[in-house]
Amino acid sequence: MSTNTKYQEQELVSQLLQQNGQAFSYLYDNYSPALFGVINQIISDKEAAADVLQDVFVNIWKKISLYDDTKGRLFTWMLNIARNAAIDKLRSRSYQDSRKNQPLTENVNTITANSVVNPQQNDIGLKKQVSKLKEEYRVLIDLSYFQGFTHEEISKILNLPLGTVKTRIRSALTQLRTMI
Amino acid sequence: MNIQEYISSGIIESYVLGLASPEERVEFEKMCALHPELIEARTNFELSIEKQAFQNSIPPPTGSKEKTWLAIQQSATKNTSKIISMEPGKNRLAGLRWFAAASVILFLLTAYLAYSFYNKNRELQAKVDRSDSLINRMTEGQKIMHDPNVMVVNMVGLKGSSSSVNVYWDSTSTDVYMVVKNMPKLPSDKQYQLWALIGSKPVDLGLFDVPQSNVILKMKNTQNADAFAITIEDRGHTGGPDLEQLQAMGKAKL
Repeated sequence: MSTNTKYQEQELVSQLLQQNGQAFSYLYDNYSPALFGVINQIISDKEAAADVLQDVFVNIWKKISLYDDTKGRLFTWMLNIARNAAIDKLRSRSYQDSRKNQPLTENVNTITANSVVNPQQNDIGLKKQVSKLKEEYRVLIDLSYFQGFTHEEISKILNLPLGTVKTRIRSALTQLRTMI
Repeated sequence: MNIQEYISSGIIESYVLGLASPEERVEFEKMCALHPELIEARTNFELSIEKQAFQNSIPPPTGSKEKTWLAIQQSATKNTSKIISMEPGKNRLAGLRWFAAASVILFLLTAYLAYSFYNKNRELQAKVDRSDSLINRMTEGQKIMHDPNVMVVNMVGLKGSSSSVNVYWDSTSTDVYMVVKNMPKLPSDKQYQLWALIGSKPVDLGLFDVPQSNVILKMKNTQNADAFAITIEDRGHTGGPDLEQLQAMGKAKL
C-alpha cells in the first residue's frame, strides 16, 4: 500500500506541475477534509478556518514546484503549509480583533493560561493525543505546534531556560510518537 | 551519536511537524542522505501523522472547492488583469484632471460674475440712494406745501423776466424753502440770492444756483418777512443786495 500511495503521489505531483485542473480536483477531494481538520485544531472559527483552507490550496497550486519528495511526503508538505497558514491567521490582527468580540476571549494570553491547561472537550486528532501528555509536555507542544511560538518565545513565556524548552519538546515529541 | 540515538532523539518528529530549526533541518536532510533507515523512520512517522489527520477529517463547507478554483483562476490571470485594472485608475485620474480644470474655470467664471454683479449692484445702490433722497426731498416738499402753518409766497419775475419761484415760509419753525419753477441760467460767475425784506431792510437768506425745476431748496431761516426778493449777485457774494439786479419779488401776506 505504501508503494502504491507513493506512486499515486508522484503521479499527482507531476499532473499538478502541468497545471492539470483534474489533478487539482483530485487533490482537493482527497486532502481538503484532512487539512481542514488540521486547520480547525488551530483556528476554532469555522469561517476563518475555511478562508485559511482556501489560501492553503491556492498556495499548494502555486508552489507545487517547490515540493521536494526527497524531504518528505506530499501530505507532510501540505500539512506544514496548512499549519503555518493557520498560525499566521491566528496571529493576524483581524483575527485577534474578531476574537476580542467573543465573550470567551481566546487571545494568545488566555489561550496559554486557559486552553493549554484545560484541554478542551472537542480536541481531535493530534491535539487529542497531545492532551494525553503530562502537563509540562502538553503546554510545550501546544505553544510550539498549535500556536507557532519559537523556542525562544516559549522560554520567555514559561520562564524556562532555552535548553530545557528544547529538551522537553524533544521528549514530548518522542512520547507523542509512541501514542500515535 | 549513533543513528539509533539520533532517530529516537525526537528530531524526526521535530522535522516532520515543522518544529525543527533551520540548522536542525539542514543536518537532518544530510543525515537522511547518508542513512536510509532514517528516511524509513521519517516516512513511518509521516504516515502515522497522515493517518491521524485523515481519521480526524472535517469536510470543508460546500462550494469551497469551486471558490478555491476560482481564486486560482483569478490569481493566474492577475498579470493580464493587472494591466486592465490600471486602465480605470488612469481614467479616474484623467477624469479627476478634467474635473480640476472644470473647477478652475468655474471658479474664475464665478469670480468674474461676482465682481461684475458687485459693481452693478453698487451702481444700482447709488442710483437708488439718489432716487431715495429725491423722493425724500419731494415728500418733504409735499409735507411743507400742505402744512397749514406754511405760507406760500408766489414770486413773479420783474422787468419782463419769466422767473417764477415759490417760497414756503413756516412761520412757526421759521424754516424757509424754495421751489424754482423757472429761472434763466446765469453765467458761471453769477448766482441768485434770496432775500427777506423786513420793513425795507433786506436780510440774506442764501445764495443759490439754478436748480432742477420743482426741487425744493432749504434756505436760511427767518423770523420775520414782509416780502421776499431775488437778486443776481457775483458768485460767493457777501453784503447787501444789488437792487439793480432785482429779478423777482413776492409779498408775504400775513
